[in-house]
Amino acid sequence: MRQATARVISNNEIMPRVYLVWLNSPPIASQAQPGQFVMVRCGEGLEYQLRRPLSIHQLDGNEIALLFTVVGKGTRWLSQCQAGDNLDLLGPLGNGYSIHSGSHNLLLVAGGIGIAPLVFLAQQALNQGCSVTLLSGTPTTTQLYPEYLLPPEVKLVTATEDGTAGRKGMITNLLPDFMGWADQIFACGPISMYQTIAARKQHLLKGKPTQVSLEVRMGCGRGVCYGCTVKTKRGLRQVCKDGPVFDLDDILWDELADGGV
Amino acid sequence: MNLSVQLAPKNKHGLLLANPVMTASGTFGYGTEYSHMFDIQRLGAIVCKGTSLEPRGGNPQPRLAETACGLLNSIGLQNIGVKALIKEKAPIWASWHLPVIVNIVGETVDDYAQLAGELDGIAGIGGIEVNIGCPNIKAGGAEFGAKPKSAAEVTAAVKATTSLPVLVKLTPNTSDIAEVAMAVAEAGADAISLINTLKGIAIDIAKRRPLLGSITGGLSGPAIKPVALYMVYEVAGAVELPIIGCGGITTASDALEFIMAGASAIQVGTASFTNPRAPLDVLEGIEQFMEKEGIDNLAELIGVARR
Ligand SMILES: Cc1cc2nc3c(=O)[nH]c(=O)nc-3n(C[C@H](O)[C@H](O)[C@H](O)COP(=O)(O)OP(=O)(O)OC[C@H]3O[C@@H](n4cnc5c(N)ncnc54)[C@H](O)[C@@H]3O)c2cc1C
Ligand SMILES: Cc1cc2nc3c(=O)[nH]c(=O)nc-3n(C[C@H](O)[C@H](O)[C@H](O)COP(=O)(O)O)c2cc1C
Ligand code: FES
Repeated sequence: MRQATARVISNNEIMPRVYLVWLNSPPIASQAQPGQFVMVRCGEGLEYQLRRPLSIHQLDGNEIALLFTVVGKGTRWLSQCQAGDNLDLLGPLGNGYSIHSGSHNLLLVAGGIGIAPLVFLAQQALNQGCSVTLLSGTPTTTQLYPEYLLPPEVKLVTATEDGTAGRKGMITNLLPDFMGWADQIFACGPISMYQTIAARKQHLLKGKPTQVSLEVRMGCGRGVCYGCTVKTKRGLRQVCKDGPVFDLDDILWDELADGGV
Repeated sequence: MNLSVQLAPKNKHGLLLANPVMTASGTFGYGTEYSHMFDIQRLGAIVCKGTSLEPRGGNPQPRLAETACGLLNSIGLQNIGVKALIKEKAPIWASWHLPVIVNIVGETVDDYAQLAGELDGIAGIGGIEVNIGCPNIKAGGAEFGAKPKSAAEVTAAVKATTSLPVLVKLTPNTSDIAEVAMAVAEAGADAISLINTLKGIAIDIAKRRPLLGSITGGLSGPAIKPVALYMVYEVAGAVELPIIGCGGITTASDALEFIMAGASAIQVGTASFTNPRAPLDVLEGIEQFMEKEGIDNLAELIGVARR
């Protein structure tokens, strides 16, 4: 974990309200693991009391990429930064995804912007000789992550809720088709997606080990403030330090529903 | 240049800080989390997370909400409990050369007394900060620090079971903070820290319900600084004890305002979340100010703005 100044190399709106920013940060790039995140300091002056957590989206030598949707003032500020600007980052933080030693066929399941950490995971999995299928689901076609940004070896399967691209419906409906193939499943998306999966686990996952990345509001990002604590079957866990990646089976999904961010 | 301050002149151990900059409870963990990021031992003191007799789980999510120049938190005093603190943290602190102060929280007066007793004589612990901004279960949930009488009771009970220097941390959620301060001083406090967070609420208009899982939270950050500063000013006029100012301190000039209002030391809290080095930056800024103004001894600045 380091506090590092990262120079912006490029920042582009690659889908409506979704930005891809490349940053030069050797100290973070050299340590980053898929599923880990950085805390980005947004704005100047006294307005912001918290950094914003964003997953590490891609890695290329000394550079890392972040992929984010503009949802509020912090991400709006970040969307305005330009090549040459400097960003103040804390990272890499948290416990990322772990590919079990016996796993070869990896199924990655992205709900919307949840694709962010999964592209980095795909990169690393391919480097390790794994096969990767990525299921990417969004409400409509304009929100689908561009295929040309994915490593070419990734097999991409898409679904849109309105049927404007790929299969029509929720991405979770496609899961059973891949259970014969997949050794391990890695998901990132809204809590509602995880809840759907958890509620129909036997049918959708056929007992395959599944890791998910949780989003909760974070203060320090490093285990200090207890702002991000969730109840799990293994007791209280700090999402920033013990997560953000957890086993699907460890999370008490109904409890999370209530407090959800 | 002399920045040192003695926060417990009448206590047999004393509480001598090399400089006036401390970390605020709940915003810097146990200090250990930051020790490899920068030289935290250059600070005056570390105050650790509020600690109870038994481990506490805290409140439901969400626990944090950012507001205009402020932060609402409803952590609910999640902590590892005093036994784990003594076993796992104190031995690390014992090897440090700055004092670590343990912030304690209880639901009854006896809880506080017992906590103070257990911490007495443990190597690595330089003092106790009594958080009386917690709900007093017996008094129907009002904060101990809301009334002079209950604040004094807790203070006296803690003093009776420990020989360590005792800082009592006041809550702003009271009608007359100077009266509470006087009661606490009378009951034997060695120093007074203030302020804890101000009670607040935020509403999620899309979901039409409070944003925080536990509905209300405590407000901190720059938004509360003028209130905190006023309360320090008030209390400095009411008691003779050393005062530790806290609330929205982000820069050295914020810290100097508190010192000039009468604080002998200050705590940096929420500012550490955006800038983990904030306490050190504040210290370096104070040193630069003193150098520029030709001040040799920090004591020359304490309370100079008081009229
Ligand atoms: C571990 C982790 C990784 C994440 N990775 C990504 C990513 O790669 N791409 C992406 O687009 N988003 C990601 N998010 C969500 C992202 O952090 C929020 O969208 C962002 O903080 C919103 O900030 P804002 O100022 O624009 O919104 P505001 O609503 O103005 O933010 C107000 C406060 O709420 C917090 N907040 C708001 N929404 C969320 C949320 N969904 N999750 C957590 N905190 C929130 C903010 O951090 C801030 O403290 C991630 C969240 C976590 C916890
Ligand atoms: C996340 C968080 C946790 C806190 N936990 C404690 C605590 O355990 N005990 C305590 O006395 N004060 C606690 N506080 C209050 C701070 O120590 C401090 O008094 C307050 O935040 C005002 O200072 P600031 O504006 O610099 O943060 C907490 C504050 C925050 C933001
Ligand atoms: S965000 Fe502070 S403990 Fe996780």
